[in-house]
Amino acid sequence: MFLAWNELKKNKLRFVLIIGVLMLVAYLVFFLSGLANGLASLNREAVDKWDASAIVLTEESDKSLLQSTMSIDEMDAIQAGETAVIGQINAIAQTGDKKANVSIFGIEKDEFIMPDIIEGEEFSAANEVVAADALKEEGFGLGDKLTLSSTDETLTIVGFTAEARFNAAPVLYGDLATFRRIKFGDAAEANGDQINGIIVRSNSLSNLAGNEELEVIESETFIENLPGYTEQSLTLNFMIYFLFIISSVIVAIFLYVLTVQKISMFGVMKAQGIPSGYLARSVIAQTFILAAVGVIVGFILTLLSGAFLPSAIPVAFDILTMIIYGFVLIVVAILGAVFSVLTIVKIDPLKAIGG
Amino acid sequence: MAILEMKQVKKTYGSGHKMVEALKETDFRADKGELIAVIGPSGSGKSTFLTIAGGLLSPTSGEIWINKQDLSGLNEKQRSKIRLKEIGFILQASNLVPFLTMENQLNLLDKVKKGNMARNERMQLFEDLGISDLRNKYPADLSGGERQRVAIAKAIYSNPSIILADEPTASLDSDRAYEVMELLKSETKNKNTTTIVVTHDIRLIHYCDKVYRMTDGVLVLDKE
Repeated sequence: MFLAWNELKKNKLRFVLIIGVLMLVAYLVFFLSGLANGLASLNREAVDKWDASAIVLTEESDKSLLQSTMSIDEMDAIQAGETAVIGQINAIAQTGDKKANVSIFGIEKDEFIMPDIIEGEEFSAANEVVAADALKEEGFGLGDKLTLSSTDETLTIVGFTAEARFNAAPVLYGDLATFRRIKFGDAAEANGDQINGIIVRSNSLSNLAGNEELEVIESETFIENLPGYTEQSLTLNFMIYFLFIISSVIVAIFLYVLTVQKISMFGVMKAQGIPSGYLARSVIAQTFILAAVGVIVGFILTLLSGAFLPSAIPVAFDILTMIIYGFVLIVVAILGAVFSVLTIVKIDPLKAIGG
Repeated sequence: MAILEMKQVKKTYGSGHKMVEALKETDFRADKGELIAVIGPSGSGKSTFLTIAGGLLSPTSGEIWINKQDLSGLNEKQRSKIRLKEIGFILQASNLVPFLTMENQLNLLDKVKKGNMARNERMQLFEDLGISDLRNKYPADLSGGERQRVAIAKAIYSNPSIILADEPTASLDSDRAYEVMELLKSETKNKNTTTIVVTHDIRLIHYCDKVYRMTDGVLVLDKE
């Protein structure tokens, strides 16, 4: 630490530049992780809100809620702690000149997927809905009448609930009758028992579905099969992992160049009997200081700039993930220093004397 | 008492008809309180002699004893320990770390080794060398003579049994060179250590107790 620290103090500019680069890499990693997290929650918020263990869909729907159609009677065959039925359809909702892509959930008010209301009240009459607060940010308000793209039905927002987006679309929660009128129009009566899926909370998921045409899908699997979800998170995570490699290589190159410049100095020190281990530890300590400062500054900058971002950018910072990524960055930086350590160990003190 | 003893030490490079004898079979002995000069033209093998004496290079054959420890058969790590404990190097180029203040040059030794000079001894050393005012200066801020004096302070600070100096006056003008030799001499006598100076500068030899001459790998006692 003694050597590491004194060198940092003496050559401030040099090390500030390295810290600057590490900080930018850390900033990018944190920002991408925020983006990955934000985009993921854009897709899965409503599903996370269920706090369910699994969802039962028809086998032929290929894990798509929208494509699954079953009778509400199927619920009787399902042996689970708690169940909730759901009907789902997508639509464009419009009021005045404001338009939004929405996902309409038809649910039973007394079942567990009924969302908590943060403003207004629960839906009670026909065509009343509780909307995701994301719609509020887009300018929709309580009492707004929403016309829908595919039907003549008009919905009224009577309440708002937090964090309820499904596959990037804000959710409108209404009762099953409202959902059926939107989906089937005049044929709503005839399709009075149609739902899309059954959401379950259960300790054991085996032997849940009584019917062979039904498939029990764990919540996480269900989310991964949302359109675009896996592709999106894989892409962003790939970028993050690549940044880890890049930061390791950057540190390796920087430190290696610095070490090569100091070969004769290290040689002299080794000739004097200062152990290689001490010199190597000093380089590692230096890397740790550089990486830690870079990561911490990057962390603070990320949070600062996150506070000023417009809500249109779906960034959601998960502090725990960021801390883990920060640690990984520091660890890969230290791995990058290993090259320099090997160089130091190999320096022949004899060369320093010019013998 | 012998502090450094070399018995039938020989160093060759290469093999067959390409074999070069950098140091022919040499017996050498240095006692406490002696200031010894090894002079000779460049390429005569005096650097080889110094690096072998300092445990930086293993001889092809022969034995080296430093303060009653046999260096033969030790690996680099073990030799490094002996260098740290027993030997103070003063090198041609300065052996100072560019990013450490003069004071910290010595503090570095405290980090890796016990048994260095006590606080008051250290102050006295600075005083003797006339470098007390330079304590917070970096090597780049010092003149060549000042740097060499700091290098001497560094070599002496760890209380070594032997000080090995490789052309310690090479970068200095005559006055400074005499000053440095004077210093080495007084430190050798006061601390009762052993100092071996390798140089091609014959003006320095009258400071020394013994002078050896190195010619083509053969070491001959010149003056006692």
